[in-house]
Formats: sequence, structure tokens, C-alpha cells
Amino acid sequence: MITARGLTRRFGDLTAVDRLDLDVRKGEVFGFLGPNGAGKTTTVRMLAALIAPTSGEASVAGQRLGRENREIRGRVGVLTETPGLYRRLSARDNLIFFAKLHRVADPAGQAERYLRLFELWDRRAAAAGSLSKGMRQKLAIARALLHEPEVLFLDEPTASLDPESARTVRDLIESLRSKERTIFLCTHNLDEADRLCDRVALFNQRLIVVGEPARLREEMYGRRTVVHLVDPRPGIEDALDLSFVKSVERVDDALVVSLTDPDRENPLLVERLVELGVGVRYVNELRMSLEDLYLDLMEDDDASS
Amino acid sequence: MHRLRVLLLKEWRESLRNKMVLFGVIFLPLFFVAFSVYMGIEAGRTEDPVAQIVLFNTSLIYFMLLPVIIPLAIAVYSIVGEKDQATLEPLLATPISDLELFLGKALASVIPALVVDWLAFGAFLGATRLFVGAVPLQALTAPWIASIFGLSPLLAFFSVLVTMLVSSRASDARAAYQFSSFAVLPGVIPLIVYSTRKTLVDLVLVGIEGAVLLAASVILLYFAIRVFSREQILTRWK
Repeated sequence: MITARGLTRRFGDLTAVDRLDLDVRKGEVFGFLGPNGAGKTTTVRMLAALIAPTSGEASVAGQRLGRENREIRGRVGVLTETPGLYRRLSARDNLIFFAKLHRVADPAGQAERYLRLFELWDRRAAAAGSLSKGMRQKLAIARALLHEPEVLFLDEPTASLDPESARTVRDLIESLRSKERTIFLCTHNLDEADRLCDRVALFNQRLIVVGEPARLREEMYGRRTVVHLVDPRPGIEDALDLSFVKSVERVDDALVVSLTDPDRENPLLVERLVELGVGVRYVNELRMSLEDLYLDLMEDDDASS
Repeated sequence: MHRLRVLLLKEWRESLRNKMVLFGVIFLPLFFVAFSVYMGIEAGRTEDPVAQIVLFNTSLIYFMLLPVIIPLAIAVYSIVGEKDQATLEPLLATPISDLELFLGKALASVIPALVVDWLAFGAFLGATRLFVGAVPLQALTAPWIASIFGLSPLLAFFSVLVTMLVSSRASDARAAYQFSSFAVLPGVIPLIVYSTRKTLVDLVLVGIEGAVLLAASVILLYFAIRVFSREQILTRWK
């Protein structure tokens, strides 16, 4: 649905996006993660046909960037970092205006549909400037969806929302996934990215890594089992002489054991510990968060550059 | 054309909700009509031919000022308002073309200015007839008609181009307003010359002013179209 090859954007001497290669599949929720100033917004602006790349090429929703920009803009929805609503116009008039610009068949009907979906119907006549932050954000998301775009670019969609509204937005993203919409999600909320995204890309002017969050974690940290012991005795980690154990680390009353295939090897590990006379309180898998992965990769990137 | 019309209607809907713009579009013309009618009445009373000429030339100035001031008020709040509300990017993310955006912003200011100016001129003629007993013939001469219907659109267009260029660089409506007011002086200076003349405004003067305004507007149009591209708006505008 989105492909980019060598996509580059320079502003004078500054390279904001450097030779970006990307393939985002149809119906995928794709997380685009990176620090402030990494070039995420510039990337979105290029892919949404708002600004031209300095070099490289891309296609979005089957349309070539540069040649079919107007068609691209008709097929994508963009939620910008700030809601960007006409404060003096009502919530309904805001939506109708954008629906008309997109030549939606029934602008008023479509506006009503999304106002109801986001529980804003009761406030439809209120000036957008009088709505709460959360309501404005929901209205901006509704605006991005009005013309039923094939690709949706969402820049920090839950940043200013209360937990309840944030959940509504996340549920909506989930429901859009099931409708085969492609979602390009820029977020700093790594927990959200972990939960929502099929794949994530870590980006800092150039692409650092791309993949499924679970697979990236596995590649970076391997799979590790934490065995909480009842009465750990000194040197127990050295006694774990099993061939499949790659490393053992003692952390307080627990052993952190690096394994190749924990599903198969965990029972053997526990069996061996019991043989050694060690009581096992419980066993769990050590799950590194996407945040850990992000911070470690960004640190590596900083060190290498 | 469809998107241009949609943008125009949105611009006017927003303007109608802005008190500062409404003041410029409704109250200012009322004051100007009142002043020009007063000048017309005084011109009818005096026996001095030079005083009559000065009074008539001065009353014409009001109808030349309206097409300068009204677009300025509308365009400043339209463009700086978009920046202030961060609505430019969502707007540019639609299939609207750069030209439609430019024309939408320009016409949203020029059309009301001309409509109000011509209505004000009509009100002036009507009110003078009411108070003096006859429409002043000086106001129906070729230089007056050429000024009202030929120079006014040029003045409005010149004013809106200056305002659009200034507003693209300003982040505050008041600052944009001040700078734009200063920048439209070249359009207003010839009008000041009118009031100092001891002979009635003639077609040569109107023609010279029209030619200068047209030339200046063509140059400004070149820059305004360049400034009103997506690329410029998103990467250069402050």
C-alpha cells in the first residue's frame, strides 16, 4: 500500500529523511517511531503528497508520488500533530467543509455518521474552539476518516486524550485494521505501538530497524526465562550445566536464564533445578518492552553516529 | 471550481463570526458613506467652485479606500487565522489545488470589498439625492465611474496581494495588519493627490494610477503564487 525507495528530503544542509526504504502492506497498522526531530513528520508529509522529496520515489495507494499527488491526497487521511480545526465554525460545519473538499457524496450524512461514532453528535452545533481537548482530537480524527481513505496517517492520535477517549481511539484503530485500512501511526507512546502495531519501524533520519515488535525483541534480547526460587543458594547458577542454557544470571532471588526454545526447555530447566534441591516458586518469561528495545537501539544509533 | 466555491463559502462563514472583520466590512463603510454624503451636501451648499472640487475629490477617496481596507481586514484574519488555528496542513492534505487555495483566499477578500464598495457608492448617490435634492453630476462623470468600477477592483486586488504576502510571513494578526497597512500606502498615495487637486479628477490621472497598480499587481501576483504553494506554506511560512 505504501512503498518508498531511497526517499530523501533535505532542507538546505540538513537531511531530514535519508534514503528511506519502506514497504507497508494493505490493512497493516504500521508504527513509525523515533525521537522528536527524527523526520517523522517530514516523512508523513512526503508520503501524503504535501511536500516533494529531494530524491527517491514512492507510491501510496497505488499512485505515484510526484505524478499523481492530487489522487494520493484524495485517498489518504491525515491526522496532524495538532487537531487544526476552524475554531469559529461548529463541529458539524468543520466536518462538512472537509467532506465537500473531498467531494464526499453526502457531506452532511457522512459528518453525522462520524459525529455519532465519536459521540460528538450532541455537541455538533458547538464552535470547535469551545470543545474540550479530547473532543477536538476526536473531531480531527473524524475529519481524517470522512472520505473513507485507504491509508490513514496518524500523528500522535492519543497524545492529548484522557484514558477513556484514548481507548476509544485505539478501539477505532483496531476496527479500521479489520476493514483493511492501512494505518501509518507515528507515536511516542511505545506501549500503544506495542499493542496496536503489526510492525514498527524505528527511525532517526534514516531507518534503523523494521519488523514485528515481538520478533524485534526476540532478535535483540533472545527469549529469557525468569525462575523465582524459594531458597536460592550461592553458586546455583554455576550448577545449571544444561546444554541448551545459553547464559544464567542471578538477580536477587531469581535466575534469569537465556534459552533457545523456552516452550520446550522450560520444563527441563525446572526439572534440573528440582534435582539440584532448589525450590521453585514460579516461572515466567522475561518480556522486554518495546520501550527497552527503542531506547537500546536509539542509544546504539547515537553511539554509531 | 467546486472546491473553490466550497472554500469561498467557508471563508465568508468564518468572517461573519469574526468581530474584527465585521467591523471592517460593515461599520467602516457606514462611516465612509456618512462622511462622503456630508462632503456632497457641503459641496452643494458652497458657491466656491474650488471648494466644490476639493470636496468632491475628497468624497471619492472614501470609495477608493474601501477596496483597500476591506480585503486587508478579511485576508489578514483569513491567512493568519489559518496559521493560528493550525488548519493549513489539514486543508493542504485535501485534493484542493494550490491555485484553488490562492484564488479562494484572494476572492474571499476581493468580492466582499467590491460588493460593499459599490453598495456604499449607491448609498452615497441615494443619500445625496435625498438631502440635496439631486444626484451630484460630478459623481457620474467618466473619471468617477472609471475610478469606482475600474480602479476599485485593481486597488482591492493590489491590497489583497500585499496582505497575502505579508500574512505569509507574520504569525500575529495585529502585526500582519500593521505591516499590510503600511504596504498598501503606494495604493493610497494617488488618492491623497486627488484631495489636493484644484481641478476634478480626470481620466488621465485615473489611467496612470490604473496602469501603475496593474503593473505592481502583476509583479506581486508572481510572488504571491510562488508563496502560496504547498511546499512553501509547509516549509517556509512562519
